[in-house]
Amino acid sequence: MVLIINTTSDTDVTAKIGSSLKEKGRPFEIIEASTLKISHCIGCNYCWLKTPGECSIKDDYEQILKKIIKADQMWVISDTALGFIDHKGKNIYDRIIPIATMNLKFKNGQMRHYLRYDHKTDIGLICNGEADMDQLRKWNERAALNFDSKSLGVYGTDRIEEVTACMC
Amino acid sequence: MHVLIINGSPRVKKFSNTDKILDKFCEGLSEKGNSYLRYEISDRRQWETIRQAWDESNNILIALPLYVECIPGLLLEFLETVTPHKDDADISFILQSGFAEGCQLRCGEEYLKLMSKHLGCRYKGTLVKGDNFSIRFFEDEKRDRITTPYKRMGQIYGEEASFDSEECKAFTGPEVFPAYVRVLVGLMFKTVARKSFEKISKEWGCTKPLDYRPYGT
Ligand SMILES: Cc1cc2nc3c(=O)[nH]c(=O)nc-3n(C[C@H](O)[C@H](O)[C@H](O)COP(=O)(O)O)c2cc1C
Repeated sequence: MVLIINTTSDTDVTAKIGSSLKEKGRPFEIIEASTLKISHCIGCNYCWLKTPGECSIKDDYEQILKKIIKADQMWVISDTALGFIDHKGKNIYDRIIPIATMNLKFKNGQMRHYLRYDHKTDIGLICNGEADMDQLRKWNERAALNFDSKSLGVYGTDRIEEVTACMC
Repeated sequence: MHVLIINGSPRVKKFSNTDKILDKFCEGLSEKGNSYLRYEISDRRQWETIRQAWDESNNILIALPLYVECIPGLLLEFLETVTPHKDDADISFILQSGFAEGCQLRCGEEYLKLMSKHLGCRYKGTLVKGDNFSIRFFEDEKRDRITTPYKRMGQIYGEEASFDSEECKAFTGPEVFPAYVRVLVGLMFKTVARKSFEKISKEWGCTKPLDYRPYGT
């Protein structure tokens, strides 16, 4: 399943993606996160040490997290700020950490967390606005590494056709 | 010099590793005759005051934890609300993280350099250091062992107003660990570290294993 999390208020993009995926017959789900209540991560460490796998913040992110762990692909649509994705987009990434456990190992020579679930979710990013795309591409690759998954790439909202071709 | 110091951690001051690092760093900074104002973005009530100080400062230092390879969402939210300078302020960063190897922080460091431009500030370098995850769990000497070296960094920053010196660069430690160290540390992860995390977890009232799956599969 392809999970699309739209943190922008532009629903034209998701409408376009939705109709294209429907046409292609690919299973997907779209979450319009701009209408949901999603806090930033407060770094309490509860999801690793007090209530393993569960975030202490009881807001709308919990339903998203439950979907992420079952999705094959997760695409975040985000506005941009300061050359990067904006805080609403970044919060979606920061709050994924309950899918990692506290336990550590080395993978490909670098420290990593053991993942909580067997299923891996690859991560793609769609940016709405100006940003340093090379930096974002590098960053999305590093971010995916933390969740033992792969980056599906970083695209602008002007390349939706191309993006939907990668959604499967 | 007078420095505006912003702790960019979303974690409350009491438990923030960045806060403990700044305690030592500021000791060094003061010893060299500098003054500073210090704030925490985890406390939203301070945001208006920090924004005012931001407008009035020409020496800014942001200390932050690495959050998923970059800056925390909350710090980003705050910085989205400041008025960019007009190339009339210097900015430096202390970027600290959980994972220990220097290479883990480089992507974040690169972004900080880019971000400085968007904030209209002159970039004066980033002090990069991993292996800080446990500060909040330690007290007294054990904590000091990790945080005390930051005092020297505060002295250097206090004299040079940047982190460009070789000593600051070397502070990061190894970019990657040699294979034999990885074997030893890997063994420690499976034994001592795992036990101590389980112990903290029990003390925090947890009754589940650390790899528990609350949502099935
Ligand atoms: C949501 C979240 C994401 C994190 N991401 C990373 C990371 O990508 N790499 C890393 O080395 N440490 C990461 N850490 C660990 C923190 O950088 C580290 O524990 C830091 O010392 C916390 O400082 P603080 O207590 O001032 O917030 C992360 C922690 C949290 C809560």
